Amino acid sequence: MRLAFRLFALFAILSLLAGSACRNAPKTIGEVVAIPVSAIPSDPGDAIWDHAPEYAAAMLLQDVVDPRLTKASTSEVRVRAITNGTIIGFRLQWLDPRKDDTPGPGLAVDSCAVQLPKAVAKDLPSPQMGEANRPVEVTLWRADWQAWASGRGGNIRDLYPNAAVDHYPFQAPPLETGSAGQKEMSTRYMPAQALGNQRNGPRESPVEDLVAEGPGTLKPEARSGSSGKGVWTKDGWMVVINRKLPASLGSGMRTQVAFAVWEGSHGEIGSRKMRTGWVSLLRRAEP
Amino acid sequence: MARVYNWQIGRQMSYWYPEARPKKQFAAVFDINKCIACQTCTLACKTTWTSGQGQEYMLWNNVETKPYGSYPLAWDLKLLESLGGQSWRENRYEGQTIFEAAPAGERVLGWKPTSDDYAYPNNGEDDCTGQVDKGAGFSIPHMNWFFYLARICNHCTYPACLAGCPRGSIYKRPDDGIVLLDQGRCRGYQECLRACPYKKSFFNPMVGTGEKCIACFPKIEQGLQPQCFLNCIGKIRLTGFISEPAKASADNPIDYLVHIRKVALPLFPQFGLEPNIYYIPPLHASLPFLNQMFGPGVEAARKTYRSASKDSDLAGLLCLFGSTESIVHRWRREGETVTGMDEKNSTLVRVPLTEPVYIRAAYDPKFQIVRTNCP
Repeated sequence: MRLAFRLFALFAILSLLAGSACRNAPKTIGEVVAIPVSAIPSDPGDAIWDHAPEYAAAMLLQDVVDPRLTKASTSEVRVRAITNGTIIGFRLQWLDPRKDDTPGPGLAVDSCAVQLPKAVAKDLPSPQMGEANRPVEVTLWRADWQAWASGRGGNIRDLYPNAAVDHYPFQAPPLETGSAGQKEMSTRYMPAQALGNQRNGPRESPVEDLVAEGPGTLKPEARSGSSGKGVWTKDGWMVVINRKLPASLGSGMRTQVAFAVWEGSHGEIGSRKMRTGWVSLLRRAEP
Repeated sequence: MARVYNWQIGRQMSYWYPEARPKKQFAAVFDINKCIACQTCTLACKTTWTSGQGQEYMLWNNVETKPYGSYPLAWDLKLLESLGGQSWRENRYEGQTIFEAAPAGERVLGWKPTSDDYAYPNNGEDDCTGQVDKGAGFSIPHMNWFFYLARICNHCTYPACLAGCPRGSIYKRPDDGIVLLDQGRCRGYQECLRACPYKKSFFNPMVGTGEKCIACFPKIEQGLQPQCFLNCIGKIRLTGFISEPAKASADNPIDYLVHIRKVALPLFPQFGLEPNIYYIPPLHASLPFLNQMFGPGVEAARKTYRSASKDSDLAGLLCLFGSTESIVHRWRREGETVTGMDEKNSTLVRVPLTEPVYIRAAYDPKFQIVRTNCP
């Protein structure tokens, strides 16, 4: 009787494992594989992602450049990749029990990024933001940008619903609500936005294209066009980042990719982050 | 780290970048004894620079009440506690600066304030329990004194915000030493909030960048004093430019007060930033408390200040505070008149050392009326 029960249990476990393996795409061991698809979805929950193999990237502390992260947080980011020959899409997934998408003093927001060497070559720049004359391209996604892209309003009470504000000078008569004069006056108090440095505030895209030639050199890339979308559930974040495929990455060729995750509730921001080293990225040839 | 000389602590110290002093260094003297905490300076700054969305709790200028007031909350106490022993041997600081005490992985020893820390500006700070007739209902270390501390960015010679920013978004202008935050380059990492021991860098959540006092540089460039100086009702402030000690000039008002008479002292010099706002310490506050706040020169400074009524030069220079909107580069006293001059030695203002006093009889026989005299 006991033997029969054991056999039954073993059979049940094996059946579950087999079923699970059928439902999920096979895992790859050593590299990210971008599979060819006809269209790139923006939804992280799109079924097409199930066809891409998943790579589990172990995260490392950014403990090379000051200021450093000294206490580890996110241990792993699970990555899938697809490409239509023009765009390459990455879906990053990591555990995060708390959604951090409100900016403020002392607050950090959940974020992630994908980094590629600007040139597809065997001789790679440093995975730590590249090197002088050997740039890397970065596409950054932020949870607060996602909130704005998803419709968060542009007033302080959209950020802090309980904010108590007496008065802003640009809301006083004779300036009319929504007038050009009112907008001009309110912008005087926002020099960063006047300079085109749109770090926060209403925006259409939750991602930003950047280029860097070493730590501290990050700057917006003139030619951008990436897109993305992040969805948070109690299991954490699932974020899609779609960006242009490196021009010289032909079908069946390899380059390298790196990932970074910032855990907002852990105070991670800027160089205080969990990151990977370079990971091999294969553009799988079409069948 | 580079080795640099910090005259305020009387020794060399470690700093993130090599010593690079500006051609001129913006500086100021605040006479704390004259401050009444009317907050006119705060409002002058607020209405000029920080009235936008996301700047609601941003006070580039604030006035707090010591020993218990602080904005943001416990800005000084938190750092003093983590910095450890801060002993002086005469005019040489024997402890560690916040650059030298930086933990592994950090550029500066600091801490990052949160929204809650900005939520209590000036609440209940003025309670002076010593005036309660039947005694206070509780006991605290400093029962019978307080003073007001007006604060702006110190435009330090060795700014911690600049050292802390990993992007180099903060810079010190070579022409006047004003420390500015590049709004086109900042990415809102808030490292300057963490690093500045005086907590005079702020974060604007609507814009997503750090923002800080700019010393009203558009006015400085025109030879004018900043808004918080111009609007000071108590006339406690004087803008100018400070020299290094060896190059101090007696006709430079800031040099005279800081280097020559040593009546004005830096705020928490032991932090190591060589801050450039200097304070004439309050006469009626605890000496050990003031020594911790302004260094070992407090007793001598107070003695000098007390002698001002018999010291025509010192009293004369103090009369120039709040006497003109322009920056006084040079000054001189001739008899009963004190003159302030601009950079080209042109006269800006003349002030009598003693204001003439007219006593009007209460009863006017000509019009046969009684007038009320107002001081």
